[in-house]
Amino acid sequence: MDQILNVLVVGLLLGGIYGLVSIGLNLIFGVVRIVNFAQGELVMFGMYGSYFAYNQMGINPYLSVFIVAPLVGLLGVAIQRFVIQPLHAESNMQIFATFGLLMMFQNIMLAISKGEAWSVGGTMGTLVWDIGDIKVSVVRFISFAAVTLITIGLHFFLKQTIAGKAIRAVTQDKRAARAMGINVERTYLITFGIGSALAGLAGVLLTPIYAITPGVGGNFILAAFAVVVLGGLGSVCGAYIGGMIVGVVEAFAGFYIDPVLRSAVWFLIFLIVLIVRPSGLMGQVGAEEVGFREQN
Amino acid sequence: MNKTNSNVSTHALIDSATSVWGKYLLGMFALALPGVLLYHDAHWINIIAFTYLMAGVAAAWNIIGGFGGQFSLGHGVFFSIGAYATARIYISFDLSPWLITLPIAVCAAAVAALISWPTFRLRGPFFAIATLAFNEVAFVLANHFDSLTGGPRGLMISFKASLGNMIFKDRWQYAILMFGFVALVVAVSVALRRTRLGYYLLAVREDEDSARASGIDVLKVKLQGMALSAALTSVGGTLFAMYLRFIDPPTLFTLPEVGVKFALISLIGGIGTIAGPVLGAVLIIPFENYLRAEFANSLPGMSLVILGFLMVMAALFMKKGVYGLLLDILQKIKGKKGDAP
Repeated sequence: MDQILNVLVVGLLLGGIYGLVSIGLNLIFGVVRIVNFAQGELVMFGMYGSYFAYNQMGINPYLSVFIVAPLVGLLGVAIQRFVIQPLHAESNMQIFATFGLLMMFQNIMLAISKGEAWSVGGTMGTLVWDIGDIKVSVVRFISFAAVTLITIGLHFFLKQTIAGKAIRAVTQDKRAARAMGINVERTYLITFGIGSALAGLAGVLLTPIYAITPGVGGNFILAAFAVVVLGGLGSVCGAYIGGMIVGVVEAFAGFYIDPVLRSAVWFLIFLIVLIVRPSGLMGQVGAEEVGFREQN
Repeated sequence: MNKTNSNVSTHALIDSATSVWGKYLLGMFALALPGVLLYHDAHWINIIAFTYLMAGVAAAWNIIGGFGGQFSLGHGVFFSIGAYATARIYISFDLSPWLITLPIAVCAAAVAALISWPTFRLRGPFFAIATLAFNEVAFVLANHFDSLTGGPRGLMISFKASLGNMIFKDRWQYAILMFGFVALVVAVSVALRRTRLGYYLLAVREDEDSARASGIDVLKVKLQGMALSAALTSVGGTLFAMYLRFIDPPTLFTLPEVGVKFALISLIGGIGTIAGPVLGAVLIIPFENYLRAEFANSLPGMSLVILGFLMVMAALFMKKGVYGLLLDILQKIKGKKGDAP
């Protein structure tokens, strides 16, 4: 029983990480339906940013969030303005363009880092709380708490504020939104900017957990898409739950089946959900068509 | 519609068989030329052989990705089915690759139909993401079933040169083999483009709902296109395995090198055209080799940065690829000459 509980906790904390890396994509893909394959690289930039802030300026890895996240957000705004916006009606070309960005970003960092893995030193990554027989990694718990708070915040942002309502209106019907006086292009810029900043934030919070390599974003990108689709397109809380599902499934499959196969198991679940119910577990039926139907 | 436009379109529709196959022969002749001229140059013939192979696989991808408009990023799965099955059967049972290529291709087509049957419900980016997931699943499985695939250590094919083994002493012999492959795939594309299935695929690409409304069995058409594309891709995988004589999961499933590369080559050349993928490979593969050699020591990964940049630029400014660009230029020159035919 303790064993199961331990695996469950490990899985939930892992789910927190998956939730964290996908929260930006949730906004970018889940809400405004932009296909961004370079999202994992934005997370990677967040990690490198936090590393540089710590190594060069001695800023605490967690404090650097306030510098790094806005910077990554600005990068996102630039991507949206110069790459995505000209391609707004063509999701296939968005795939190509953002995959090209993925290759560029990954290999620019490869050229800079010469392929060496870096990590923020210190003992913080190994700190553990003992609760009964259950071990809880402190840094993982922090990211779990962060993703919970951000999810709640994002949910209220989208549902309650004018800016959030504008974002949802633009997704549902661009033309009508424009007729209501919403600046569609600016709404896209803002959304992509926030989504990117959240990816940068995720990167900062993951710095104490993962070794920083140029390819680290590649580990997250499919997971992020899986989480967003699993939870339900456009549903912020759904993505939170989707992250937990992926984390728990991976932990149990890794423990009881085979560590090598652990990701294959949730890939398969993802594929099944994608095929049976492409709108996701908590999304409205047909949600996968919204925003792609009429992108003019 | 003005007069010149309608002329152009009817002209394109009723190209006679002789004219189309004449163009094909001309194109293949041009493609073979560098191989013939440089067959003694060990460095170049290596690049040329690989260019032929990638041209063939990109043209195979183009059948479903270009004609059918279904942007698969998971063609690495079919490529690796060909590579792994060939290597495993050759190593364990010592069967000639010539004998098993076709049966393996049929198996790859069956697998493709099986996994695509549910995925074809998805449209646009969702389809692409699902195929990406298939690629990752296959990567994990290839690492896991090491009795079949050799796992992370990979499979090594020992060097026993003979025609029957599809292993050759000289690189130019491989170049002939790869040229045969690309000639085959392009011939299939040319032929397909003139059949009912070819036109159905185009109809599905242009507007799926209208295609269905006009009585096309959309799912069946997509499945047939995918099966054909996967079978040809698997043949490419066979040749790849016998050419490198070493395969492991990273060489077969790394997206920028395999699954996405096929699509990238087609995009640069011109998606949905017959000449496009071949043109793309001719431009990209030697260029990439040059970049790799140039930056290998100073800036690792620089070649992929430039390729990624090209990909972004092509998506933004050259959606019809180099081939489309050439056609546009040709059109303009013709237009300036006046309407006289």
